[in-house]
Amino acid sequence: MTFRFVNYTSPMKELFSPNANPQRLVFMSMVATQAFVLLLLWMFYPLQLFPSLGEVFRSLGSLIADQGLIQELWASMTTALQSIAIATVLALLISYLTALPFFRPIAYAATKMRYLTLTGLTFFMALMVSSGHEVKLSVLIFGATVYLVTGMTSVILTTTQEEMDHARTLGMSEWRAFYEVVVLGKLDEMLEVVRQNFAIIWTMITLVETLYQSEGGIGLLLYKQNRYLHLDGVVAIQLVILATGALQDYVFVLLRRVFFPYSWLGAAK
Amino acid sequence: MTPYFYKEPVLTLDNVSMSFGGELVLRDISAQVLDVVRPNMKQGQVVGFYGRSGIGKSVLCRIMAGLVAPTKGTVQVGVEQEPVKPGAVGFVQQRYPLFNHRTLVDNLLVAAERKYNPEEARQQVESYLERFCLTPHRKKYPAHLSGGQRQRAAIAQQLLCSDHLILLDEPFSGLDIAMIDEVKKIIVEVTTMDELNTVIIVSHDIVTTTALADRLWLLGYERDAAGNLLPGATINQQHQYNLAEMGLAWHPNVEAEPEFAQFVEEIKEEIRRS
Repeated sequence: MTFRFVNYTSPMKELFSPNANPQRLVFMSMVATQAFVLLLLWMFYPLQLFPSLGEVFRSLGSLIADQGLIQELWASMTTALQSIAIATVLALLISYLTALPFFRPIAYAATKMRYLTLTGLTFFMALMVSSGHEVKLSVLIFGATVYLVTGMTSVILTTTQEEMDHARTLGMSEWRAFYEVVVLGKLDEMLEVVRQNFAIIWTMITLVETLYQSEGGIGLLLYKQNRYLHLDGVVAIQLVILATGALQDYVFVLLRRVFFPYSWLGAAK
Repeated sequence: MTPYFYKEPVLTLDNVSMSFGGELVLRDISAQVLDVVRPNMKQGQVVGFYGRSGIGKSVLCRIMAGLVAPTKGTVQVGVEQEPVKPGAVGFVQQRYPLFNHRTLVDNLLVAAERKYNPEEARQQVESYLERFCLTPHRKKYPAHLSGGQRQRAAIAQQLLCSDHLILLDEPFSGLDIAMIDEVKKIIVEVTTMDELNTVIIVSHDIVTTTALADRLWLLGYERDAAGNLLPGATINQQHQYNLAEMGLAWHPNVEAEPEFAQFVEEIKEEIRRS
């Protein structure tokens, strides 16, 4: 008689097993169920902390039709994209310059500036640049750069002696080895740092758009809804921002998959 | 016994010592690898450095590869015996690193472009892919290669840009019997590619290293007259073996010979004593 050990786990049980890798269909059904339960809770929760789903949808419709939500979102998005693009270039430059000891204190100081509050800083920035748009942009760039430098320098610090030695044994100069191992070798991780820190821009945008209201933006719209206690409008705008963020994340993941196909090969599944 | 004679040195370690934070790791290591010539044979050679785990073998490798300067002493390489600098010696590290962001063929091209013009580099890479049975995997990223394929790729990459000297750090570590046989085949293959090719194995696998090498150096600790252990691993006069002279080199199945087994036993005893 032979005994065979069959490792069978039911799909339900698998969802609660550590490090399990459920089938795509099972996983998607689970996500749909969770979303549905959340929706039910929202609809039938007796305390009514949030405006009802219907109210939020009605408010969303009115914000789109009467207050130009889409245009405001577009205005904020272009500002956010412009800021993150400039901040990324600046942060990469500062981070890569840490190869030279002379620039390390600058990068170190930049990472510590995360702790600065933006209130007050905007005043100095207003003195340095001419228009409201530029102040808005410079505040966002500053805020994003200090976070990006922190993430990017920690990516650079993951470079191992083995990686650098490998490049050197191929006869590469120090700069060429740095370019191959750190710049090219870690570009995918840098994109991930940008993806993670893009959210910072959206949290800051409300503040800066309320300071410089001439250009509008979704942050200003949110501020107004909040000020007049239109909670349905607040939730509607927050949901729009959340959806935009999720879409943005998805685009970044897509970009990473297209441009850096090796990126996921070594990851645990 | 196979007739042979030695020509000029290809690697010289002269009184090499290395300390880290005041702690002596390697002490006064001297060894010279000479170009061996066997009439009517067009084959390079394999030499071995044996040392127990944690004795400082990887440090010695990095010194020989020119990646770190010794605290004292010199390393000279090539027929001109020039001071070693990074890139002069091909160095395959223990975990066979490759550029994970490049495909296999790109990994080899980036190495070949150092020595050849783009067209020649492409031809050389194709020939190495063929010779190391890697052609079907050319478009794969390193993460998709098996351990054996990765090791072959790492050796090919170093061969494409180095000048005949190739250093392997623990090439048999963690491999099963079949894989060890495969690595041995690759090492022999490397020596047959060019008469000047010299493979330096740094390993704690005494049997496999001895079977492949024609010279062997044993890294170990010495004791002073009072019997106290001296700091820093070294190679003393008694621990330098010319296996060719002993009739234990260049035999296809030397491991099966009783003389080989006896020699390995003697070495093991020596290691246990030290």
